[in-house]
Amino acid sequence: MKTIACYSNKGGVGKTATSVNLAHSLASAGYRVLLCDLDPQGASGFYLRVKPSRKLKEDRFFRDVKRFTGAIRGSDYDNLDILPANMTFREFDIFLSRMKNSRSRLKKALKAGGGDYDIILLDCPPNISILSENVFRAADLVLVPVIPTTLSERTFEQLLDFFRQRNLKHKKVMGFFSMVQATKKLHGDTMTRMLGAYPKRFLAAAIPFAADIEKMGIHRAPVAEFTGKRGAGKAYDALWRELMEQL
Amino acid sequence: MAPRQEVVHTGFSAYDTFDGQLAREGWLLIGTGDKLCLLGEKIDPIWQRGALPGFTADMGDGPVREVLLGIVSPLRRLMLIGEGDLDCRLLALLDDEHKTRVRCECWTFMTKAGPTITRIALQGVRGYDKAFSRLCARLGGFENALSVEMVAGRLFPGTTGYAAKPAIDIAPDGTAFDTAGDIIRNYIAVARQNEDGVIEDIDSEFLHDYRIALRKIRSVLSLFRNVYAADFTDDLKARFNTLMARSGRLRDLDVYLIQRETYLDLVPRDMQPGLKMLFEEFAAERTIEQRRFAAHLRSDGYRREMRDLIRLFDTPDSSLPKGPKADQPALDYARVMIWKRYRKVCATAAIISDATPDEQIHELRIHCKKLRYLIEFFAPLFAADEIRILIKPLKKLQDTLGDFNDCSVQQEALANILDGLDETYADRKLEIAKSVGALLTMLDQRQKRARGQVTAYFMAFDSPATRDGFERLFRTGGGAS
Repeated sequence: MKTIACYSNKGGVGKTATSVNLAHSLASAGYRVLLCDLDPQGASGFYLRVKPSRKLKEDRFFRDVKRFTGAIRGSDYDNLDILPANMTFREFDIFLSRMKNSRSRLKKALKAGGGDYDIILLDCPPNISILSENVFRAADLVLVPVIPTTLSERTFEQLLDFFRQRNLKHKKVMGFFSMVQATKKLHGDTMTRMLGAYPKRFLAAAIPFAADIEKMGIHRAPVAEFTGKRGAGKAYDALWRELMEQL
Repeated sequence: MAPRQEVVHTGFSAYDTFDGQLAREGWLLIGTGDKLCLLGEKIDPIWQRGALPGFTADMGDGPVREVLLGIVSPLRRLMLIGEGDLDCRLLALLDDEHKTRVRCECWTFMTKAGPTITRIALQGVRGYDKAFSRLCARLGGFENALSVEMVAGRLFPGTTGYAAKPAIDIAPDGTAFDTAGDIIRNYIAVARQNEDGVIEDIDSEFLHDYRIALRKIRSVLSLFRNVYAADFTDDLKARFNTLMARSGRLRDLDVYLIQRETYLDLVPRDMQPGLKMLFEEFAAERTIEQRRFAAHLRSDGYRREMRDLIRLFDTPDSSLPKGPKADQPALDYARVMIWKRYRKVCATAAIISDATPDEQIHELRIHCKKLRYLIEFFAPLFAADEIRILIKPLKKLQDTLGDFNDCSVQQEALANILDGLDETYADRKLEIAKSVGALLTMLDQRQKRARGQVTAYFMAFDSPATRDGFERLFRTGGGAS
């Protein structure tokens, strides 16, 4: 079982689209995948038409293995299951702060409840919190979507700093460029600069800015389901292949 | 419920052995496109690449073959039992978000002769157990309505009805005469059902069953003494003997060829080439013998004889010449006959020691065989579970005796081959002779081993429980159903 966290401390960078499409590509390739939605907004669940979990409230996520596994739902796609979020996930930091070993609770919960899967993909909320520290400890790889702009560049640096401060393995951090618009000079320049600054922290595969990805909200399905392997679907295909090499 | 994709129209071919070994165990084997699919009760369809199944030994490796090996006799060919059209529909039970909660697969089988049958398979989705059980409950009436066996039987009516041992109804108040007639009529039918398979040379079991059916008729004629007039019995025996004799050599060759691998394993590696040569000869001879016998089955003379025999036994109150015991009630008659034969088995077995000559063992084998036939003929008159208790240890004893006998028959036959080598196998004589010699030694050892086990298996048969059973059922009365 490998855990991949799709994380960024900046919002709107394509975390959920990445989580859903990556999970779907991996499942299509034959891996048994659990997509675990940690974001209380529940966007992953929305894309896959799964309703918010009702019984996995408060600290049960971390304490009650039975409720945890009971909340898992099969998606409409082979090999892909999802643990949908609910609004009480907003208070994860409060629950975690009350618990012993508050920084490794997530790892423990995933180990206990996710035994059926080859890969657990975490769709994380955009902040740096006790929960994100849990995520960093639980994940074998922290996948960071980076829009090639100045602000994203700054948040990526902040993330690496955080890893250094907390003595976390910064090799776990793996960025990739997201929502790339080839026509924008700024994007091109930023990508060149960041690849130069962090040569080992970036994947070669990049996800373009695509109308198809935006349409996921209309189709409520992974992009490859309605576009096939052209365009955006192909990009996610390349992404998971490179990612699995890293693991 | 909503369709998940377009309906797929395709054709299918259904396969089973002639005696319906798959249907009996609740399986349906179909071929569709270039794949074989095995459908069973409460299990997902099992798939494998490959077109025609044939003998399991010749099939390509795969999950279907894996299951078939455990069900189908290696001697039986999986043959086409029918064809039809197949529609596959994938459906989904959706919720208000259009999320799939239960998957459903419907296979609709359509044949010319049978009704249209749809197999519905529900597949739950993790986390939606309630939707699954609600749908199961709604479909409950349909879900278990048709077993796979019934599906196979109804899709192709008349294809799975063959039974080598048909259940023959015997009325307790019927006479011995009626019973004999019923048995003979049924086994003539069994023999006839096997004729086409022998002619088409589908597998060796057709001839085997054909011969057993005729042999059973012959035993009825000799065991039901004084039921028919003596002259008539003798005449009939002669006629059935003639029928049997025609296929004796073909069956012998079948048995050799079935044993090929076993025999090869028995002799040292350097003796195998000679034995293989011998088997090639057997195979060639078998081809000729099979053609000859198939021609015989197709001949006017044979057909006329069968027609005449059928006519003899076809009328219930026939005017067949009766013997002095003809009108004895079947139940009384059965008890006396079985009891007598049982006593003979015990008496013969009692005096068997390491010193008794082989003939004695052969005699015991014959008595056991006759006892078995008698019990099976009259079984419907007694409680099934009581009969089963008696048959089980008898069968084991018979297996050992059979093994003993096979070894001895085969040794004799091989010795004859050795004698005849000069004429037939001139150029390969020496090599074949060496191998046959080695095989004879091994068979002799096996025969001795089987012989050594006879006493032990008889002891197991001769337990207080079987003794009680025989006494209760056949001697003192009671136990009749």
